[in-house]
Amino acid sequence: MSDKYPLNPNIPPGPVQEKWTSHKFNMKLVNPANKRKHTVIVVGTGLAGASAAASLGELGYNVLSFCIQDSPRRAHSVAAQGGINAAKNYQNDGDSVYRLFYDTVKGGDFRSREANVYRLSEVSTNIIDQCVAQGVPFAREYGGTLANRSFGGAQVSRTFYARGQTGQQLLLGAYGSLMRQVEEGKVKLFPRREMLDLVKIDGVARGIITRNLVSGELEKYAADAVLLCTGGYSTVFYLSTNAVNCNATAAWRCYKKGAYFANPCYTQIHPTCIPRFGETQSKLTLMSESLRNDGRVWVPRRKGDERKPSEIPESERDYYLETKYPAFGNLVPRDIASRNAKEVCDEGRGVGPTGFAVYLDFAEAINRLGKDVIAQRYGNLFAMYHEISGDDPYETPMMIYPAPHYTMGGLWVDYNLMTTIDGLFALGEANFSDHGANRLGASALMQGLADGYFVIPYTLGNYLASAQPKPVTTDAAEFEEAVKNVQTGVEKLMSINGHTTADEIHRELGNIMIDEVGMARSEKGLKKALEEIPKIREKFWKDLRIPGDAKDYNKELEKAGRVADFLELGELMARDALERKESCGGHFRLESQDKDGEAKRDDKNFTHVAAWRFLGEDKVPERCVEPLEYEYVKPSERSYK
Amino acid sequence: MKVNLRIWRQPGPHAPGRLVDYSIDGIDPSQSFLEMLDALNEKLIKEGKEPVAFESDCREGICGNCGLVINGVAHGPKAACTTCEVRMRQFEDGQTITVEPFRAKAFPMIKDLVVNRSAFDRIMSKGGFVAVNSGSAQDANLQPIHKDDAEHAMDAAACIGCGACVAACPNASASLFVGAKVSQYTWLPQGKVERHGRVLKMVKQMDAEGFGDCSNHAECEAACPKEISVSNISRMRREYTKALLAGV
Amino acid sequence: MINPKDIHISSVIKKLLTGITGLSLVMFLIAHLIGNLTLFAGPEVFNAYAQFLHHFMHGMFIRFAEIGLLGMFLIHIWSAVSVQMSKKKARPSRYAVEADAGGASKKTFHSLNMLVSGGIILLFVLVHLNHFKYADHEAIGTMRLSNGVEAFNAYKLVVGSFQANFGYVLFYMLAMAVLCSHLMHGIWSAFQSIGFTRPSTLPYLNLAGKAIAIALALGFFLLPLLIFMMRGTFDPNLGPETIRHAANHFLPLLAG
Repeated sequence: MSDKYPLNPNIPPGPVQEKWTSHKFNMKLVNPANKRKHTVIVVGTGLAGASAAASLGELGYNVLSFCIQDSPRRAHSVAAQGGINAAKNYQNDGDSVYRLFYDTVKGGDFRSREANVYRLSEVSTNIIDQCVAQGVPFAREYGGTLANRSFGGAQVSRTFYARGQTGQQLLLGAYGSLMRQVEEGKVKLFPRREMLDLVKIDGVARGIITRNLVSGELEKYAADAVLLCTGGYSTVFYLSTNAVNCNATAAWRCYKKGAYFANPCYTQIHPTCIPRFGETQSKLTLMSESLRNDGRVWVPRRKGDERKPSEIPESERDYYLETKYPAFGNLVPRDIASRNAKEVCDEGRGVGPTGFAVYLDFAEAINRLGKDVIAQRYGNLFAMYHEISGDDPYETPMMIYPAPHYTMGGLWVDYNLMTTIDGLFALGEANFSDHGANRLGASALMQGLADGYFVIPYTLGNYLASAQPKPVTTDAAEFEEAVKNVQTGVEKLMSINGHTTADEIHRELGNIMIDEVGMARSEKGLKKALEEIPKIREKFWKDLRIPGDAKDYNKELEKAGRVADFLELGELMARDALERKESCGGHFRLESQDKDGEAKRDDKNFTHVAAWRFLGEDKVPERCVEPLEYEYVKPSERSYK
Repeated sequence: MKVNLRIWRQPGPHAPGRLVDYSIDGIDPSQSFLEMLDALNEKLIKEGKEPVAFESDCREGICGNCGLVINGVAHGPKAACTTCEVRMRQFEDGQTITVEPFRAKAFPMIKDLVVNRSAFDRIMSKGGFVAVNSGSAQDANLQPIHKDDAEHAMDAAACIGCGACVAACPNASASLFVGAKVSQYTWLPQGKVERHGRVLKMVKQMDAEGFGDCSNHAECEAACPKEISVSNISRMRREYTKALLAGV
Repeated sequence: MINPKDIHISSVIKKLLTGITGLSLVMFLIAHLIGNLTLFAGPEVFNAYAQFLHHFMHGMFIRFAEIGLLGMFLIHIWSAVSVQMSKKKARPSRYAVEADAGGASKKTFHSLNMLVSGGIILLFVLVHLNHFKYADHEAIGTMRLSNGVEAFNAYKLVVGSFQANFGYVLFYMLAMAVLCSHLMHGIWSAFQSIGFTRPSTLPYLNLAGKAIAIALALGFFLLPLLIFMMRGTFDPNLGPETIRHAANHFLPLLAG
């Protein structure tokens, strides 16, 4: 641990159940008349950003809301399918705030902060109330009450959903509230702006520099606090289930300005995605996990077996999940299902044109239940698969392969969601989050909205009331300097004038990342990644080609800036993974497994958050540590056998 | 496979635009239409030319960012999907494909195939919400909502705001977009309090943005990737009439 | 309460007006057709019907009806033209390729040419009014009805007009084809415009609209044609016998 830069999580004292309540009382308030004197910048308009901007506008702050899309409604939260968890216990099946807290800490493999997780569980119930009041059309029972389903292997039904479009509906609710504040004049919207730098004055976050993605102009905005709600960094893998414009640039530039980056190696790889088919693919498509309820996962026993699946007799098939995990079978948690798929493919037993896919076979379920029942349950998913792959899953087994999906790592924040830079907050997937080393299904939406609707309105007020930031304008020298730096960066990119496109380099980086910093990591592989990534970076800075003009709508310039940051973030991920010599949650180190090949945590040495501190270009960053304590949920082994 | 493309190129809002011919080989039928354009752009960059500007984000049909008119049809030849969900197997080897932007006065041109759809945001700001502040909600189950009503609301709420309805409409009308949003709240008790003001204000903004009037061609429903029914437009008119009567 | 400043002559109000006036005009057409069918009952019935229309409520009824119809026409034309005018403004640059999305689309030749068909119908109405309403009544003369009233011989005017010149019949038939086209889209569209359609009724209203359009236009289409075809047997001075003659003449045609 660094003594010079201790990480103080600022967890309030008292029993975990009372921390948030007493903290809310103890925090300072901003007088209503003073709220309008404060300006707050919110970057990103996903669930966290939109809900925060709307809530702060309602309170009376002046909010400047930025997004890279043409409309706030398009942020990637829109794509979440499954649902949102809340400890409502409407089903009378034994759920409670405490159980959701317990499940989340355990699901996170004991690498999250108890106090944060408890608060998340506590406010989860308010989120559902809020969203229903906004007119989010959640699924209902015949009696008119809200419907729930069990999700991701949870033992209680606590997931609320709006068909397969829960993320979209929640986002539209938050977006509606945001647009209402725009109309009221409390929020000013800045679409098609990309944040390229954070401006600090006297060590405190006081503004941002953005690039107008239409005109190419660099713009300065000043405020009393900056909220980063910019999502995760799964697109570092190039192919992921995330939207193609998702990026880590804003977070990364803040890291370089002094915000610590926590647990970058924690990534979630979702097991049921449509496999890649070729080099030109731009994205991987997620299919609901529910498919594993009726589908059986298998590969041929023999390596390089090129027969059609129908020609492979039962005796020559390996239903590896069922054999290895008789208790859970095909329903093992995401990380285990993903890792095993990779294992069999690495053995050369993968199927499909690339050899990186496994079968998900519904033949047995169709025989048992009939085609109609299967069509009723999965009709739309089968149709989607058929459309994308060209194969009919009713006739031939589906092929699936894991894909990067969510990142648990992110900017380090304390209990108040403030980063190590005063005045800079991180919300939603952008912070290192409440999910520890592994996120449970239907918990991402919950966290984004909890942060935006119910946490930041309090903690931001406390910060403003305590810090009393003095007024600043964009005329300050720090803004000028920041613009100049960004300008230099853009010019540097434009002037390379080589032969390789940003996408080509991104793909190259993605291949290394998925191979060596993906589902299974080894010292050897990680060291290889740490050697390879700088080489790719060198190639990038020597041979990149960006056509067109920087003072224009220029997609290639946008991409290049993001790839430049990924080339550094990727290295940090590898470094973090190398240092964490244990297996936990989404982070699996081949060196740390038990005799059955299961993940082995090292609680003695790694019950902590690793937060990285930037020390300068081309310098190895410093690994700082926030120890984690488990007062309520005692660490135990995760076993699914 | 190989395709010939005629793509609308326009360097900026005030510059003249024209269709430019391209051809691209080695396309995999499994590739999406946008991945084919990615490949074209990579080729253009290598040749030292400007790539075609177009927009997309989620590439799975939910964000509403992509939107091209392919051979005269918004979001291309396949029903109920967005441009990013169109696969190249929808086309024939050697086919000529014309690609144009969404054309409407209310969607001003930015570059090539990129247009500005902020008009939709401005319409939404007039009433696309229930005015409830964070933290002021009652328990979610206190107000039962009939399952069918919730389903109807969801049918209307499925709109992704892509603008294909406007692009496809012979009059460039935004009635389906506005109708869907107004309709969603008419099905829900939460929407009842502000119902009259909502429909009047949203329609007023729609007209102010310069969208055309509706002629009931229902081409919008046919082009809608979420298959939102024109009966939502009818519902909006009903709601509008009720608002007028309430004002009398 | 609503805020008066939120109300303006909106696109929705224009649609409501187009729909209400359109449906009213369709109702008028239905009544007009039923009235016209009395032609087949002979001059006595038809002339009595005309006489009744013109003298009901001391002639006030027809005045009000005429003013009402004129108003409907003017509003319908204004709102429809203004809806159509928005089209060009809303899409200044046209698509190089235009196609139909198919599926749920109700876009047809008819729906795209409402202004053209409407314009032709307007021209027709002017000719029609000029010919029948503003005809030289003195030259045509009167007929003594069985109740002793001396009524204008409208029957002679109508039958005489259509028997005199096939070109005139053709003009009517063409106009009715255009009317059919207008109503093929117009009727269901009017229901949609006034907010009457629901997901469950929409397809039926569309079908019913087309059926009514065809039935109405066919009625108006056949009337002059039949009158022309029955030249010679269709004596303008014949009494109720006419209908039997007509049947005798027409049925073999159908059979043949």
